Amino acid sequence: MDLKISAVKTYLNDVFRSIFRYGKMPRDAEGQSFAVFNNLFLHIHPVKVTRHSLKPTYTFGLGLISAVLFLVLIFTGVWLMFYYIPTVDEAYNRMLDLRSSTNFGFVLRNVHKWAAEAMVVFVILHMARVFFTGAYKPPREFNWVVGVFLLLLTFGLSFTGYLLPWDQLAFWAITVGTSIAGYVPVMGEDIRSFLLGGDIVGQEALIRFYVLHVVILPGLMLVLLGVHFWRIRKDGGLAHPSENEDASAGGGE
Amino acid sequence: MREVKMENTHPRDPKKTYGLMELVKGTKPTVGLKPDKMVFTWPHVLIREMIIFVSVSALLLVAAFFIDAPLEAIANANLPPNPAKAPWYFLGLQELVSYSALVGGVVIPGLIVTVLILVPYLDRKKVGIGIWFAKERALANSLFMLFLVVMLILIIVGTFFRGPNWDFVVPWEAVKGH
Repeated sequence: MDLKISAVKTYLNDVFRSIFRYGKMPRDAEGQSFAVFNNLFLHIHPVKVTRHSLKPTYTFGLGLISAVLFLVLIFTGVWLMFYYIPTVDEAYNRMLDLRSSTNFGFVLRNVHKWAAEAMVVFVILHMARVFFTGAYKPPREFNWVVGVFLLLLTFGLSFTGYLLPWDQLAFWAITVGTSIAGYVPVMGEDIRSFLLGGDIVGQEALIRFYVLHVVILPGLMLVLLGVHFWRIRKDGGLAHPSENEDASAGGGE
Repeated sequence: MREVKMENTHPRDPKKTYGLMELVKGTKPTVGLKPDKMVFTWPHVLIREMIIFVSVSALLLVAAFFIDAPLEAIANANLPPNPAKAPWYFLGLQELVSYSALVGGVVIPGLIVTVLILVPYLDRKKVGIGIWFAKERALANSLFMLFLVVMLILIIVGTFFRGPNWDFVVPWEAVKGH
């Protein structure tokens, strides 16, 4: 009997090891290194980081919080897609349904809304942090540029999502917002009607904003986020005072 | 770290001018390194990531239970509100547009994005890296702070101080008028 139990244990352990090759909780340096770089999801991290980069008052976790908000937005956004219909006749009704007849529908929509507003705020704060700590200096120039495009994508995602509830707030905010595009000299009106698929915000605009919001912009965001994270690692981790020309004067750990 | 008796494993050869200096027990090569300033991602970074993930999610859930996302009446192209306002982060632009559509809506935002992209190629001197508000970067930091403050003021004005026909209103007066 004992023999059988231990055989089963060995077998289960083999199964576990086939997935996680370096055990449950690696405690030595070798295991902790392998745990990171042999895992597809973890290997976007470097194996080691400076203590300086972990100080809460250095980054305030602003970039990470932005990324977490984006994950929450994907999760709640896909969930909302099960309820939402991007037509002028149905969209608003679906908002009312989320409030009244869908279990915890209001929580779902509220989480999506507040995560979206928070993401705009935290992405801007993250950019300010990077600026005020001089973290865009060589060799991190290009990652700052990627970051600027991530900020623009964040605005784009927020703006396209703004129209989808199809209430008065949505309709007129998008009417005003897209009218700004019309002020571009010569081709302004063309840009505007390309965005809206017509002269006014209507069914064509709704479906365009919907596709941009749920496929095109999140897709671009995921690719650029991948580049952004990858570059942090390739550029030597977070900016560190020892990189300064007069590094001996620079403090920090 | 524990010293191993060298004499036993690597006896000294009197003919040689060099010799093994020390054997140290350790798990990583630390030759020529200053005291270790690095820590392992597993678990030091991952545990912090988990904490932030859980707390952000929890805060969002709490907020979502108590604060409802706005939902007005169904969209109606014949019932324009006065004033119609863009989302809050574009209200700074809308405020600028109220002075000049071309300058506020096209030239200034275009310039902002262009300059932001060029920042790391204009300011390349390797000073003040990894330090908050470093003295050497006072000018750059002041300019960026000024930019943020101006944008914030424009957004606040656009959000709270603009009423019908984009006329200037004082928010507490507007509330009284209701």
